[in-house]
Amino acid sequence: MEKKYTQDHEWIELDTDGKTATLGISKHAASALGDVVYVELPQDDMEIVAGDAIGSVESVKSASDILTPVSGQVVETNKILEEKPSALNSDPEGAAWIAKIVIEGASLEEAAKDSELMDAEAYRKFTEEASED
Amino acid sequence: MARRAIHKASNIFQRVFRRRYACLSERLGDIKHPIQSYRSTSTDPYLNLSIEHHLLQTSHPDTTILFLYINRPCIVIGRNQNPWYEVNLGMLQDSRAGHPEETDAPNIGNVDLVRRRSGGGTVFHDEGNVNWTVICPPSSFTRDRHAEMVVRALRKQGIERARVNERHDIVLDQGARETSSGYQSDPSDLHTTPYSHASQAFSRPLKVSGSAYKLTRLRALHHGTCLLQSPNLHAIPRYLRSPVKPYIKTRGVESVSSPVTNIGLSTDIFAAMVQQQFAEMYGADRLEHVQIGKEQLHLSDVRKGYDELRTPDWTYCQTPQFTLSTVPESVALNPRAMPHQVTVSVKHGTILDIDVHSNSQELLREAATIPRVKLTELRQKLQMSKSASGTIGHWLTASLAV
Repeated sequence: MEKKYTQDHEWIELDTDGKTATLGISKHAASALGDVVYVELPQDDMEIVAGDAIGSVESVKSASDILTPVSGQVVETNKILEEKPSALNSDPEGAAWIAKIVIEGASLEEAAKDSELMDAEAYRKFTEEASED
Repeated sequence: MARRAIHKASNIFQRVFRRRYACLSERLGDIKHPIQSYRSTSTDPYLNLSIEHHLLQTSHPDTTILFLYINRPCIVIGRNQNPWYEVNLGMLQDSRAGHPEETDAPNIGNVDLVRRRSGGGTVFHDEGNVNWTVICPPSSFTRDRHAEMVVRALRKQGIERARVNERHDIVLDQGARETSSGYQSDPSDLHTTPYSHASQAFSRPLKVSGSAYKLTRLRALHHGTCLLQSPNLHAIPRYLRSPVKPYIKTRGVESVSSPVTNIGLSTDIFAAMVQQQFAEMYGADRLEHVQIGKEQLHLSDVRKGYDELRTPDWTYCQTPQFTLSTVPESVALNPRAMPHQVTVSVKHGTILDIDVHSNSQELLREAATIPRVKLTELRQKLQMSKSASGTIGHWLTASLAV
């Protein structure tokens, strides 16, 4: 399945089962945050609504929220990040995924309701435009 | 007659009140005021942080906002910090109880403990300290930008030793001025001073302002403390030294302690200089500096934030997971160092597990009776379960009860 990106610099990818999605933060976001020293993961089984802050990250004295672009239920979180927050810097779009979510709706787009999901190319353009502001 | 006059005055007062707070929400959302400046009339740290959060959450995403406030004596921990690890909580309780002379708590009255929403480490605030906040769009945010603004303001007041360091804090260089021939100082360089060279060789620069940040989807908040004329510098290290720190292993963010000093300017002069520098930086001629204070509690989200920050659940139970052991972390790998080792793990401020490494049946029995409760309720619950007098109960109460 193809990775989609949000304007909040998260990525989300639907698994082959068509209902479980994996959420993480983009490489762009990870490099902008700097060295991550703490990750607060969402609670397992938590019901979430698109746009909610479901966790947080701290890096270089900055607290940032982790937002979910989709509604659904958290079914698994990546506990490795609690032990080793710096993994988020080394592999944000791979091993350092944040949560697995059973989405509410038939597709990512339906579960994302209002927020726009971009493919990798559209997201690349979005980050380039944002940094030119 | 007198009563009627008072009644009339209070009506006018309420009208002004209402106009003012309707005004704040309107102004915050109004891009016709892209640059805004506020100063708090309150010294309540919970209120000031809640107003600050309101400015962050509700201001128009394209506005840039300055907010200045002074807090009464308090210790402010970062969003992801552990107060048991960072703070001498017993000393806070002693000052709160109002009889510091019976203990060794500094005699400076009540000191509040506050968990803020931004990252970073623990700081001490009092009336000699001005907090400055700038909220701006993420596109114009860097971690140094507004610390540099404050350094410019300080240098205009003749504080030429001030600079921004590599941790985005503001420090005063110590030692002699560079006098070697060929040396030219560059006043526009906000990261070095003519005193930097000597300072780094002979004595450490002293910190006067720390930085912390909160980044949201649409906004970036940078705030800093600025030590100007605190009468309590001597007391700060004592409050920020936890007696149980060596026994705690914690997740989250550890403070980096630095030697501090006062700048020596008055808080009013500093506030005026920062306001002026902010207006200049953003080209805002005749910028209005709006006073706001406890009347903002009429706004439901300011009130909600205020009530939340004051709960023990926020201050203590938002602590990242940690363990407390009877053996210091540094010797924990050597089981022979202590025949009985007890380790308690705490998550969300609540006792999760008590692990006893001992042959003592008494200790094992007692551990089983300790209720798995929030540390904020520990003292009361232990007394109810009659475990307060046992070895573990006594140790837990002394180390963690708040």
